[in-house]
Amino acid sequence: MTAGSGITNASVTTTDAATADRPARAAPAARRPRRKPHLPQPVHGHFRRLKTRLTVIFLGILFLVPWIRWDRGPGLPDQAVLFDLPGRRLFAFGLELWPQDLPIAVGLMVAGAFGLFYATSLSGRVWCGFSCPQTVWTDIFGGVRRLAHRIAKGNEAAIGPLTGAMSAAVAILTGLGFAQWFIDAPGLAGRFLDGSLPGAVYGAVFLIALFTYVLGAHARERVCLHMCPWPRFQAALLDRDSLVVTYRRTRGEPRARKRVALRPELLATPPAGPVTGMPQAFAFAADGTVGLARGATVTAAPLSRGDCIDCGRCVQVCPTGIDIRDGLQMGCIGCGLCIDACDEVMTKIDRPTGLIRFDAEEADPAPMAPPARIGFFRPKAMIFGGAMVVALAAVSFGVANITDVQVDVEPQNTPRYVLLSDGSVRNDYTVRLSHRLPRLDGVTASVEGMPDATLRFTSGDGADAAEMAVGGQRSAANRLLVIQPPLRGDALPPAGPHPIVLVFHDTSTGAELARVDTRFWEPER
Amino acid sequence: MAAPERDDLTGRYTTGHEWDGIKELSTPIPGWWVGVFLISIAVALLYMVLYPSFASTERYYEGALKYSSAEELRREVVAARAAQAPMRNALVETPLEEIEADDSLRRFATTGGQAAFNENCAACHGVGAGGQIGQFPALVDDDWIWGGKIADIRQTILYGIRSAHPDTRQSLMPVFGQILTPEQISQTAAYVKSLSDPTAAGSRASMPGAPLYAANCASCHGAEGQGGRDFGAPRLNDAIWLYGSSQEAIERQITNPRMGVMPAFGERLDESTVRMIAVYVHTLGGGEK
Repeated sequence: MTAGSGITNASVTTTDAATADRPARAAPAARRPRRKPHLPQPVHGHFRRLKTRLTVIFLGILFLVPWIRWDRGPGLPDQAVLFDLPGRRLFAFGLELWPQDLPIAVGLMVAGAFGLFYATSLSGRVWCGFSCPQTVWTDIFGGVRRLAHRIAKGNEAAIGPLTGAMSAAVAILTGLGFAQWFIDAPGLAGRFLDGSLPGAVYGAVFLIALFTYVLGAHARERVCLHMCPWPRFQAALLDRDSLVVTYRRTRGEPRARKRVALRPELLATPPAGPVTGMPQAFAFAADGTVGLARGATVTAAPLSRGDCIDCGRCVQVCPTGIDIRDGLQMGCIGCGLCIDACDEVMTKIDRPTGLIRFDAEEADPAPMAPPARIGFFRPKAMIFGGAMVVALAAVSFGVANITDVQVDVEPQNTPRYVLLSDGSVRNDYTVRLSHRLPRLDGVTASVEGMPDATLRFTSGDGADAAEMAVGGQRSAANRLLVIQPPLRGDALPPAGPHPIVLVFHDTSTGAELARVDTRFWEPER
Repeated sequence: MAAPERDDLTGRYTTGHEWDGIKELSTPIPGWWVGVFLISIAVALLYMVLYPSFASTERYYEGALKYSSAEELRREVVAARAAQAPMRNALVETPLEEIEADDSLRRFATTGGQAAFNENCAACHGVGAGGQIGQFPALVDDDWIWGGKIADIRQTILYGIRSAHPDTRQSLMPVFGQILTPEQISQTAAYVKSLSDPTAAGSRASMPGAPLYAANCASCHGAEGQGGRDFGAPRLNDAIWLYGSSQEAIERQITNPRMGVMPAFGERLDESTVRMIAVYVHTLGGGEK
């Protein structure tokens, strides 16, 4: 080895590098210990009640909406909301949506996305904390586990199997709740048990149950921390005016046991304006230490303390097991349970609540300042909210303009026109009709702008008809022949395509169903 | 080249290259990667032995497996034909007039017929059977020189028109340029043209071409120009003119008639395919009952 050969010369003395082909591995003892599963403790308070109520509402929607009935007439399902996969249509109360109505679904998704952005820019991850299925089911499975503990009453051996069985039951119920949106809901449970459902239903229920069990009962907060893409870009949606779960460092630090004297300025009435004269508190913030419980880093006990007594309740109740006192972080799902926990403790030690609260980063840092208000009138929030409103308006427009009958007319181009022996000119069209009327037996066609034209449908069986039979089907296709009688002399139209309008009527009621713009091709003469 | 030297930190050899005081380690490629590379080479060699690989200008190495994609296609075609066999048999066994009434049979025949038509017929009659004025008749209209019933269409496809087949449809229009004077031809043409003009109905009988037509043309094309399908004489009193409707075009056709030839497709296609094409043509909009 030559001296002065750059950084490869850096002296490493711990291993005998010259004799080892590979660098020495870290000793096994230095590996990170296996992470214990985080099981949040129960908590009571405002946000806990809100979460519970929302859970009840969401589960109510999942399980009860498919039971609502809606009379659509004979031959059609009477379920108000039904994803009819075999029929490739979606019934939603008075609406029947087809695959070609996909833009409406896309509009709803766009509206949902912007709604999510809007809510996030206003108040952080409230979707994650209160409405995300992962959160809701993690919460439910937490309740299941506590219930199992209560039933087993200290019988340690029974707790595991009991929790597993009850969780599996919840997962299967979830699968059934999902499936009943796709198949007649009231008969579902019975048919599920007697085995008369299509295999796809069992497969779907099994898959949903499996995912519910794996993700909700086992992966829990790890989904939010490691699998979910949403926290990765929520930071782009937040700004300093968003209301997020905030630990109020200026009020809480430095942390110490209750017997340490409180910082004197905290005892005074809330001062107006920024609080000064807390060098110690800011020093804690600046050097990145996070509190006494974790902090062997803090060597000297403070002489006075803030409101945080470092009881750790906020960490214990957190569904994702984070410490909110480290500041806003990716793992925070904005559920506010740490607020409930902290408020409980503050009440017990006779301190004002709100050490952890929904607040803006831009808020008044004074220890006793009131929380920031929700900022509706900011460009970011208004743009997201506006985009949501636009998307919803587009969806409403789309829903209002759904036509019951859709007729596509495709002119046949080979040949563009047919000359007939009596001198008349025929154009052929392929007509495809689909409808969502209660009943449609047949369709007749007429043409506007060609007074003497005759129209015939031909299905290819050699029998031409004035009427296109639909016969109760949802869709039908046929060939339409439009025959222009012989024209002579001055009446001869120029060669080439001419716009015409084909009008389709219900044979039995005479009602106009659709008007289609197409063209009639005149021959060269 | 300098003697190999080891890096203190990692214990690996360096390449001896140095940039800005940083020496490049000679880190070996991972063993699994080299293994995969070698296996890939072995697989490629095996592939070369098993499948056709080397070619000279005259022949090629056929491979140990004697694989041929053309042979594979042939097998697939045979299998597809075998799968179609029940429908094709039904098509052949069903009386021609009843095929279209059977929904599944009609669909099978029109779908296959369209493909076979595009392969065998579209070159002349056009995709969609629109024909070509002055060349090949349209098959979508209601004018049929030899008849538009499905049996007529089948016979035309089978034996052709003026083809070499002994059963072909045969007709011959005399070369009137050697029989009539140009003036007579002109008068005849004017008369023929008036046959399809309803406004000329009253004056037609007094035209100079009338006796000429009666003497020379009526025996085949009919007294009123209604044509004669038994011997393939086209209608002259309608609006469809294969070789043109102008005075000049009609004169040309009388002077030196053109008569199209259609091959006998019965020699190329089997009965079921002929029937498919017949059904397809019949359903295009001009088929006669």
